[in-house]
Amino acid sequence: MMKTGIPTLDDHLHGGVPQGKSLVYYAHPGVECNVFGMQTVHRAVSEGGHGIYVTSSTDPRMIRDQFKEFGWDAAEYGDRFVIVDGFSGLIGADSPEQYVVSNPDDIESLTQSIKQAMEGAYEPSVIVFESLSTIMDLCGEDETLDAIKEWNKYAMLYDHVVVYNFTAWPYSEDTLAHVKGDICNSVILIGGITEKVIFGQYFGVKKIDWDEITKKCVLFKVLKPGGIRVYLPKILVTGPFDAGKSTFVHALSTRAVSVDRLGTTVALDHGHVDHRGFAADIFGTPGQQRFDPIVKLLSGEAMGIFLILDSANTDDFVRARQMLDITETVGLPVVVVANKQDIAGALTPEEIRKELKMTNDIPVMPAVASSREGVFEAFDVMVERVLEANSR
Amino acid sequence: MTYNLGISRIDDLIGGIKGGTNIMMIGPPMSGKDDITNIIAYHGLINKNAAVIVSTREPGNNVLDWFESRDLSIPPDHIGIVDCVTRTLGFGAPDTENIKMASSPVDLTGIGVKISQFFERFWMEMQVKETRLCINSLSTILMYSNLQTVFRFLHVFTGRIKAANALGVYVIEDGMHDDKTIVTLKQLFDGMIEIKGDDDGYQMRVAGLSPKPTPWFEYEIDGVNIILRG
Repeated sequence: MMKTGIPTLDDHLHGGVPQGKSLVYYAHPGVECNVFGMQTVHRAVSEGGHGIYVTSSTDPRMIRDQFKEFGWDAAEYGDRFVIVDGFSGLIGADSPEQYVVSNPDDIESLTQSIKQAMEGAYEPSVIVFESLSTIMDLCGEDETLDAIKEWNKYAMLYDHVVVYNFTAWPYSEDTLAHVKGDICNSVILIGGITEKVIFGQYFGVKKIDWDEITKKCVLFKVLKPGGIRVYLPKILVTGPFDAGKSTFVHALSTRAVSVDRLGTTVALDHGHVDHRGFAADIFGTPGQQRFDPIVKLLSGEAMGIFLILDSANTDDFVRARQMLDITETVGLPVVVVANKQDIAGALTPEEIRKELKMTNDIPVMPAVASSREGVFEAFDVMVERVLEANSR
Repeated sequence: MTYNLGISRIDDLIGGIKGGTNIMMIGPPMSGKDDITNIIAYHGLINKNAAVIVSTREPGNNVLDWFESRDLSIPPDHIGIVDCVTRTLGFGAPDTENIKMASSPVDLTGIGVKISQFFERFWMEMQVKETRLCINSLSTILMYSNLQTVFRFLHVFTGRIKAANALGVYVIEDGMHDDKTIVTLKQLFDGMIEIKGDDDGYQMRVAGLSPKPTPWFEYEIDGVNIILRG
């Protein structure tokens, strides 16, 4: 199996892409697609494998720069990373690459270079096409479809995995149906959430022919550096006054801001989390009763809730339950964070569960937010819960 | 939602351009199309519109310099430039607040992504709903990609302009393409800014945005103003 390196995608593919199989990242126009192929080849090469990158619309030097923007240094890959240059020939530029397509608008010329690169690979590799749609634009739709069949067959002989980035411009219905349907072993749909403009991006498995398909879509963001991150647009952090909500938001975030007065949150805390392939925007509420209307406002469209408690202050537990009710987010994943575990008299997570009369399906996670202890473990559990809830 | 071009007499004659309009600007080389495009963008910016300029001939920094050198009091964060040139020159410049790099004029996928990112930023983060998209120029894109490819690209993005109630201006060189190319592309646009003339002087008119075309006007570019004569 060759892992794609895209967070959560390998789980949906049941471990990755088997050797000799093909995958197409099928993207709507205007949605980021190329980074999927780049991240996939980066993953393969950084794990000690070999990668071939077929460029069609970008100077190979710029390809290496693009990798660098994501924090992936192609120079470190050495000769395990090879570029088939299908661009320089278009603009009549010289190319220092080992494999250069002399006539990028001639599919035979392209096929010849690709086959040479496949034969020249030391061992089963991943071959990523920067832009199948550009090849289609240059060489023709039918010609390209025929060539894909040939490339896939050839790759199968050498146990290579072939990955295509494809932007679904308004080609003929037949062409789109083939790309989306029968020409590759798997199809990952990459789309945009659109209301007047595209304001969010998602991916999901459309087809795999080696196992059962789990049809669910995942929101994502592209970070530089970092690459693709599964994205949770809104996680609420609530709890009684002085439970440590702001401390928790700041401890978890790569960047955060609080609207507070004399150290007490009076409007909200906002933080952006980037952790182990997941990105999230988290919103902390005020804890004082007089700000309850704000809590309700902030909770709209949340995907999950952290309920932060001061583990030693049992007097506030009733208020904690009350705040959970105010959010009016019944059914959403809740993770209770038993904060301030380091102070005298702190109850254990199990004792807190009993006090709160919470069922076993709600995780209670021990933490000391001031020293960032336990905060990322709580976040991991939240991510797991949110993904689980979305797959139902 | 209506837009203007910032060319007062023509704006008066056509009576405002409704949101979602796509305009082709066609004219001979050296007739000042780059300036006219920037001036149309500028007149949006002074009215708190946002502007996305796709530059296929000039590096993004030069386009930005055009606005900065004129010392215009416009909100700089309302300008987005998709630079299709710098990376083809072999410079690995990173994206900045105002300039996003496309790999080359062939990279229509990348150009489309960068346009969408600017629209998302203006619409969702900055809540600026009136946006102008200027592509300068389609002729360069047509040098690298065939008509059908460019048509498909424009089909998607003229549609997005309509959906977003934005204004699209697409520049094309007169005399560089055959009639079939122009006729094919014309189908996608609601109106045209036509430019004709020679070194002795140029004239412009607008067609398709009012019941009948405006008269031809001789014009002169003076800073950020287009002065019409006649």
